[in-house]
This record gives sequence, structure tokens and C-alpha cells, in this order.
Amino acid sequence: MASGAKNIPKIDSSELKELIEKLLTACHILDHEGVTDGYGHISVRVPGADAFITIANVSPGCVTRDRLIMQDFDGNHLDGAKTPPNEWPIHSCILKARPEIVSVAHTHSKWSTIFSVLPIKLKPMHHYGKFLSADGPPVYQGVGLVRTVERGEELAAALGKGPAVLMRAHGDAVVGESVEQVIERTTRLAMLGEWNHLALLHGEPKYLTADELKVYNDDQRFPMRGWEYYVSRLAGKR
Amino acid sequence: MNPSHSAPAFDSQELKELKQKLVDGCRILDREGITDSFGHVSLRVPGADAFLTIAGVSPGCATLDRLILLDLDGRYLGGDRNSPYEWPIHACILRARPEVMSVCHTHSKWSALFSVVQGGLKPIHMYAKFLPAAGPPIYRAAGLIGTVERGRALAAALKDSAAVLLRAHGDAVVGASLEQAIQRTIQLAFLGELAHRAVAHGEPLYMSAEELATFSGDPAFPARPWEYYLSRIRERRSS
Repeated sequence: MASGAKNIPKIDSSELKELIEKLLTACHILDHEGVTDGYGHISVRVPGADAFITIANVSPGCVTRDRLIMQDFDGNHLDGAKTPPNEWPIHSCILKARPEIVSVAHTHSKWSTIFSVLPIKLKPMHHYGKFLSADGPPVYQGVGLVRTVERGEELAAALGKGPAVLMRAHGDAVVGESVEQVIERTTRLAMLGEWNHLALLHGEPKYLTADELKVYNDDQRFPMRGWEYYVSRLAGKR
Repeated sequence: MNPSHSAPAFDSQELKELKQKLVDGCRILDREGITDSFGHVSLRVPGADAFLTIAGVSPGCATLDRLILLDLDGRYLGGDRNSPYEWPIHACILRARPEVMSVCHTHSKWSALFSVVQGGLKPIHMYAKFLPAAGPPIYRAAGLIGTVERGRALAAALKDSAAVLLRAHGDAVVGASLEQAIQRTIQLAFLGELAHRAVAHGEPLYMSAEELATFSGDPAFPARPWEYYLSRIRERRSS
């Protein structure tokens, strides 16, 4: 088990309250925006620990505070609900490989799935894709669920240093330095997938080049405006 | 600034009705599925070199206290201090087009689409009577409109049209009233969706310039569509 495990805060501690609330909101946003269905999960790193919190074998749309689980990077149960998600290695392996990453979303987004099986790549044709490289996200080609550390490590290797990886015949994994950023990126990836799909009916669209992508500076208010907006859309639905 | 062109105070009674109209316009674009987290609407202050817009907030979350009053050089005149990054879209178009009272900027999916595909967004429905037969012009540079230089280039691309597509970005649509700018923005999205769906069946029959010219202005405009769109945001608010 990870060193310093005894100092890891509990899921219901005041220390984690805000983070947990954000995680629940994030799950409900992905559901409300039509990105997740019965499956998919989001994780958050427990600050300062080799541990993470995710949803315990429940749809993101149905998750509640008592259906969260805390695990260490080896998949050991630390706190919360007892049923870990099948694909916990997606989260542990990526969080281990990418110390700067705070949150990981895994979805079966229809648009990521489509571009995971086509010879055409999901490339930025709108500035919403500015977080991607000009040639689009890589595709993890392994078929099957990511239920073992071996597969989790392969997936993390396919992701590399990037913000997102498509998973063939499966969906995607998207990372961010905050929960808000992961939500922004995951919803944007789905939008871009849809827009690429629409555009390709008309022939090859004019994509943004690597040089053009550099022109977009990060808006300092990003991603708070999007977060506020998505939260407003949940009103009355939780 | 020339005092004859100065705007009334942000909190003055004079601006009250305009502010409510602006918030309604923003809520309508959200309700109709045109805007998301981003996009903005502006409204010229009559008789002044100034305009109202939303202050760093999604149009869907706009409220009376999240508006900002700017002059046409982007100077803060009142309201929420969170100036939108792309204020030059509004300032430069309002300066170049004195008859324009309102500008909408959106990331409409259909405008984004036709900004990067071949052929342009050509009219196949009479709603396009405000567009040229070749479809709206396209501003081709990448990057947000965060400078006056880019704002001027956008206004030059728009020229005397009612709408311009922004490549990999969305659109800017103008009107002689806020109601007209909102109506055109919604119709532009509708036209984009129609044109896209029609192409799936092969080359559609586009409208010629002569044919477009046969459609005169709607005498009931803008009261009828505005009433309709307002009814849809009120229904949502009460639900």
C-alpha cells in the first residue's frame, strides 16, 4: 500500500467535501450533456496521496455521495462503497503516470467511439479543439475492458502526455488538471466529434493547423464559464 | 469623448428597458440551442458611441447585473467589470455600420460547420432572404477577436452583409434591432441545418439572387417571432 496511507482523509471528511461535491456535479453534467449513459466514470486524485475517488459501479447519472469509492493505485479499497468499478486501472494507471493530472473521465461517448474505428482522425476544425494536437487524439487499439493494471499501463502509454485518448470500439479517456477542465474537455471532445462527423459529409473540411492552434491563448476565465453554464443546466434535475 | 455622444449611466432609467431586452435576447439564443458556454449579444445605446453586452458569462446565465457598458474603443463605462474578451467584434462592427443596432456572436454548430466545408452555406429556404445567394462571407483567420485590428478585419469581411461566418469559430450576425439580430441568428442556424441535411440527398436546388429578392420584409416583424421566442424562455423559467 502507498506510503503515508494512514494520513489519507476519509471520503466524508471536511477536507474532501468540496472535491467530492465537484465530482458528483461533474458526473451529473456528463450525464445531462448526453456524453455518458449507464457506464462511464470520473475520478479525482486525493490531494497528496497515491489514491483516488471514483464512482462505485453506478452510472454517472445516478451517482450519490454514498456510492463513491476511494482506492489506492493498486486497487486496494480505502474507503466508501465496496464495489469498485471494473475499469479502475484506467484511473490508477493514468494518475500514476501523470502526476500533474487531478481528474480523469472515461466515457463511451458515441462520437469518440465513431472516430476510434474510422481511418479518419478526429482533428480540430474548431477552436474548441485547441487542447488537442492538430492530428487529433491517439487511439488505444486494444480491444477489451481495461480491467488489469497491464492494460491500464498500455492505455496510459497510448495517452502519453496528451489530454485525451480514444479507445477502439469503446470510447475515450480524458484528463485534466482540474475537474472543471476534464468536464470542459470531455464535452468539447464530443462536440468536435459530432462536428467532424457533420463536416465530413461535405468532403474534407479545412482543419486548424498546428501553427493556427498556437494562436489561441488560454482564456484566463477558462474553464469556469463553462462550468457555471453546465451547472445551471442541471438546475431542477438533481 | 464628444459629450453629445456620451451614454447614459449604466443604472439610469433610460437603459432599463434595453438591458431587459438584451438579457431576453441572450436567454433566447440559449433556449434555441444556438449558444453554449460562449457567445454574446450586444445592443447599441441609441445616440451614443457605446454598447451594452454580457460580462464574461454564458448567454444562458445572463442576468441584469451581469451586463457591461463599453464605448466603441472598449473603455469601461459601467456595470459588471468582467469585459468580454472579444468585445472588438461588437465595437468594430457597430462603428463600421451605423445603421446596425445589435450584433450577435455565437459558436453555432451550423455556422462552425459551414465555415470549414467547401461550398458555403447557400440558401435553400426563404428564411435566407437576408443572405446573398452565395451564402454569408467567411472570415478566414484563426484566433479569437481579441484586438481592434482583428475586429476591423472581421467588420471588413462582413462588409454590408447581415452575417459573416468565422472560420473554426462560429458567426457574427447584425440587425437594425436586437429582435432582428436574434431572429437572423436563429434563422441562420436553421438554414445551416437544412442545407446540411439536404446535401445528404445530393445537390439541392438552391435559391437564386432573383428568387431571394422576391421575398419582401415580413410586415409582422419583429413582433410575431419575438413574442414566440419570449414565450419559450418564459415557459422554461416557470418549469
